Amino acid sequence: MDRLGEIHQLLIPLSGYTITINLEVLVMTGIVFLLALTFGFVASRQKKILPGKLQLIGELIVLTFFGLTEEALGRTHARTYAPLICALFIFLLISNWLGILPHLEEPTRDLNTPLSLGILGFVVAHYVGIRNKGFKVYIKSYFEPVFFLMPLNVIGELAKIVSISFRLFGNIMGGAIIILVVSYLTYSILLPPFLNIFFGLFVGTIQAFVFTMLTVVYISVQLK
Amino acid sequence: MAIEGAELVKAAALLGAGLSMGLGAIGPGVGEGMAAAKACEAIGQNPKEAGLLTRTMLVGQAVAESTGIYSLVIALLLLFVV
Amino acid sequence: MTLLGLDNLTLTQTAAYVGGAAAMGLGAIGAATGEGFTASRASEAIARNEEHAGDIIKNMLVGQAISESASIFSLVIAILLLFMDMPDPGIVKAASLLAAGLCMGFGAIGSGVGAGLPAGRSCLAIARQPAVSGRITTNMLIGTAVCQTPAIFAMVVALILLFKPAGGAAAFPTSAALIGAGLSTGLAAIGSGYGGGMAAGASCEGVARQPETTTAVTTTMLVGQAVAQTPSVFGLLVSFVLMFRSFPESTALSASVGLLSAGLCMGLGGIGPGIGNGMTAEGAVRWVARRVDYSGDLMRIMLVGQAVSQSTAIYAMVVSLVLIFVV
Repeated sequence: MDRLGEIHQLLIPLSGYTITINLEVLVMTGIVFLLALTFGFVASRQKKILPGKLQLIGELIVLTFFGLTEEALGRTHARTYAPLICALFIFLLISNWLGILPHLEEPTRDLNTPLSLGILGFVVAHYVGIRNKGFKVYIKSYFEPVFFLMPLNVIGELAKIVSISFRLFGNIMGGAIIILVVSYLTYSILLPPFLNIFFGLFVGTIQAFVFTMLTVVYISVQLK
Repeated sequence: MAIEGAELVKAAALLGAGLSMGLGAIGPGVGEGMAAAKACEAIGQNPKEAGLLTRTMLVGQAVAESTGIYSLVIALLLLFVV
Repeated sequence: MTLLGLDNLTLTQTAAYVGGAAAMGLGAIGAATGEGFTASRASEAIARNEEHAGDIIKNMLVGQAISESASIFSLVIAILLLFMDMPDPGIVKAASLLAAGLCMGFGAIGSGVGAGLPAGRSCLAIARQPAVSGRITTNMLIGTAVCQTPAIFAMVVALILLFKPAGGAAAFPTSAALIGAGLSTGLAAIGSGYGGGMAAGASCEGVARQPETTTAVTTTMLVGQAVAQTPSVFGLLVSFVLMFRSFPESTALSASVGLLSAGLCMGLGGIGPGIGNGMTAEGAVRWVARRVDYSGDLMRIMLVGQAVSQSTAIYAMVVSLVLIFVV
């Protein structure tokens, strides 16, 4: 039970403020980067017409997300943004699956990871909006349908960051809590491996897909 | 326990914030779900237009969500301003 | 400190009895409604197809047995509340026992009603397509079993509240936090339980309509139910924060009301999105059965639609966390 509140932190005092660095998340994010890079390297090292297993998985992910992005953003924009979307999905997928392995935990269990990815998606979407519509039309879109709804429109946009990041955080953290409680109640006998598979593989995959698709959707809303 | 007026007001504001967001979340949740269910139906009947239907669903949901956002705004106002 | 002029043991016992009554009283609503729905659909099904009355009745009984499990959880918690020893009576223990009862009582409503929907609709489905009655019953069993998850969450929280030592925690605001923890999981489970049932009901109909699509229909149903359970996972998260965070002692009314309000906010806020997500899953499952070649498109729009309709539950979670950590 006590493992939940336990966080290894590095505190750096800096003229009155304290910078807190969560070491565990840093290490875990590093592991995810390493795994993703290794996967990408190995899968694309020997490209063949008849793909091997890893190349097949890589092609499946890339083609699926290129297709989905193209459907939502159109061909020209898809060429620009689909690599980002693919990378986001692969990172989230490996992150959410990491907790299955003993002694490792999902970097997405810390709110900072989903929040920074959510802000990334938000910034990209609004950059696309400004570039595509021009600054004037972009600003004008906040004053529609009536000018005094402007503050609510701004809050509505900002709430998207909150909803996308807290959805991922809540699901991964909630899964971790359930696994811990059940292991505690059943003395880790039978159920925890099943729960690990359910929350790690099943819910983790769904949430990675949902997060990625919502980022695509946010970009496509700004394009119109 | 004697309760002062200011304390009572603060407690009422906190309770109001919780109720505002809690009750305000029910309607948009059901409504947006209904919109998405109908979008699934429409795609089932006319799969060629999946892209257009998805966009229509998202616009409809965004409008349905506005009351949820109003609740959020009122809850935050009650928490931090009142 | 005493409340209402009662001594600690009387107060704790009163809370335990009220909690036990609430657990069983509220917990009976869902299962009874769900089983009634099942029986009514079974009668309808037998009227349409008398030759297979045996299969239909068997299916009805199996389905009702599973819908009942939510109220059996309530019974277990109620009996524990009535006959348990009270090691450290006091205001905190009293609040935690009352919260355990409320949590289980509310938590059983959604799963009970929800599990009744697939059970009833599978009876109609067997009347329509008796040749695949085995497949329909299996699909119904999977669907109703997954519907019970929110009730199981409520039972886990109720058990923790029952056996958590009160220790030396300050009476206020800890007792308010515990009641909030019970309400958060209990109320949020209503929507998810009912929503999961809607998805499972549509899948039983779908299997009867196009038996060759069973795999695609069951998969869509499971994914839809898993996402529809997200609001109750959020409720569980807020409950855990409320139960295991230690709050500094404060007799101020606002401190206690704030924590109670946090639980209430997440609990109520989880109801709507849970039902809405279930509706979406129902629509997607129904159309996967009819147009199985487009199941990928349907699954994708279901996930996006559900994710967007969850946002209000997420706002409720954020307001709850602000009430706990910031205010």
